[in-house]
Amino acid sequence: MKVGFIGLGLMGRPMALHLEKAGHELHLWARRPESLAPFAKVNAKTHASPAEVAAHAEVVIVMVADAPDVEKVCLGADGLAAGGKAGLIVVDMSTINPNAARSIGLRLAEKGIDFVDAPVSGGETGAINAALTVMAGGKAAAFEKVRPLLEKMGKSVTLIGDSGAGQVAKACNQILTGVGTLAVAEAFNFAAKSGVDPARVREALLGGFAYSKILENHGQRMLDRNFKPGFKAWMHQKDLRIVMEEAHRLGLMLPSAAVTAQVFNAIVGSGMGENDSISALMLLEKMSTPG
Amino acid sequence: MQLGFIGLGAMGRPMAEHLLRAGHELSVWSRRPESAAALIEQGAQWYASPAEVARHAEIVCTNVTGSADVEGLAFGSEGLAAGLAPGSLHVDFSTIAPSAARHIAARYAATGVDFVDAPVSGGSGGAQSATLSIMWGGESALAARLQSVFGVLGKTIVRVGETGAGQVTKACNQMVMVAAIEAAAEAALLATAAGVDFSKVRAAMLHGSAGSRVLDVFGGRMAMKDFRRGVEARLHHKDYALLMDEAARIGAPLPVSGAVAQQLNSLMSRGWGTDDTSSLLRVLEAGCGTDPAR
Repeated sequence: MKVGFIGLGLMGRPMALHLEKAGHELHLWARRPESLAPFAKVNAKTHASPAEVAAHAEVVIVMVADAPDVEKVCLGADGLAAGGKAGLIVVDMSTINPNAARSIGLRLAEKGIDFVDAPVSGGETGAINAALTVMAGGKAAAFEKVRPLLEKMGKSVTLIGDSGAGQVAKACNQILTGVGTLAVAEAFNFAAKSGVDPARVREALLGGFAYSKILENHGQRMLDRNFKPGFKAWMHQKDLRIVMEEAHRLGLMLPSAAVTAQVFNAIVGSGMGENDSISALMLLEKMSTPG
Repeated sequence: MQLGFIGLGAMGRPMAEHLLRAGHELSVWSRRPESAAALIEQGAQWYASPAEVARHAEIVCTNVTGSADVEGLAFGSEGLAAGLAPGSLHVDFSTIAPSAARHIAARYAATGVDFVDAPVSGGSGGAQSATLSIMWGGESALAARLQSVFGVLGKTIVRVGETGAGQVTKACNQMVMVAAIEAAAEAALLATAAGVDFSKVRAAMLHGSAGSRVLDVFGGRMAMKDFRRGVEARLHHKDYALLMDEAARIGAPLPVSGAVAQQLNSLMSRGWGTDDTSSLLRVLEAGCGTDPAR
């Protein structure tokens, strides 16, 4: 298949390479030409604009930072909509506001272009190992056409519902992982300040009802004091901001997510935004120590 | 002075009336012409667009709802920017995002027009009695010109800093005030649930260290169970979106405000958005077994 790919960062680059390895012909555009270097020796053609990519591809995958970026790539001057023919499918794998996704989908539909929101969880490691969790929203027919592509990048690929539903699922994922990471950090700090070894606590809890992947994986990295990303704290902060914006719009009470969002503000504000989001532990340690 | 005024709602209309009575010439435009009728009777001049108002004014005042409304008035088709001469001034009394205020000022600067963000506190009561608190951001050199407008409308006038500083101050004002309303509501809940009369608790606290204007006014409404009068809670809810967004943009932790925002979200869903913010007590009661809706 001729597949366009825009957004060749930490996540996008390995994802695009998986598609090429599976035999697909890549059509690329990048804001910074150096992002194209890893594709020099593979089956990939580079183009001068998203519009040109859209004109040469059956499916275009977008993996950028935030809603304004997705909007610009899709609907800006020389965007995908300017070059795509009716029948093109745009798959946005970025994490953006569900409402923004719905509105971009509607505007692309005016041109006969299908839009699937398909944000992922699993971080850079998941992208490199083709083990991402993909949560999709959009029309079933469009989803079925792109499912084989998504399965080359992810281990678990689920159509959740209509347009925007993938982003809603991702927001739910970020509530659980954000609150969960903070809970593990609080438990470890509580144990340590009580004079108890958090490693022993973790071991004991892994067999019980408090077991979670976060306790197992993030917990181990906290014990190893390995704060390299992973998933950067500023990205988790951005995602929680989306959650809280939607809570405001819908009139929802999300007390735990709200507190967690404020802790992530503190992580980013105190200069740890480029670390992994398990840096929540370092923040709590700092806040529980004489200044 | 030749003034323009756009946004003749519960706040804007009494403000515009004070300016007329102080002897200023006033040009007005309104999306719904009927909201200008009373002012025109008192001598204001009607024009067909914001641009026309701007052509007849040295200072144009606006008081509307959100960032997008102010931007639309300024730079939409037949907007203020199309009519404001170099050296003239746009004073915005609305509560909007600080970053939006800075953005608007930067766009005006290209055409030699000054912009001042001047959000107010004091509600429609303060607008009627000309006792508003005005917190403004912009060039300090504008202070003398602004005095002929601000002095007519408010009692406390503070230039806080450069453009956007007024909006940052308003965000702080809303944050402190609504958190205090929530604290008063929690006191009312605890007192009542413990079988103690909150109106007596309030009276006892009012002149002690916990005494405050919020405990007096909003606490009074809670004691009377009078949730109808006052400030529409939906406006505080709107302001919270602005300040929580600003906190996330900067990376500033606001744990109490984050929690208060959730109580306001619930208040909206329960259907009390057009009632007073003392309805935060009703949100707490809904989780306490004394829920009147049950």
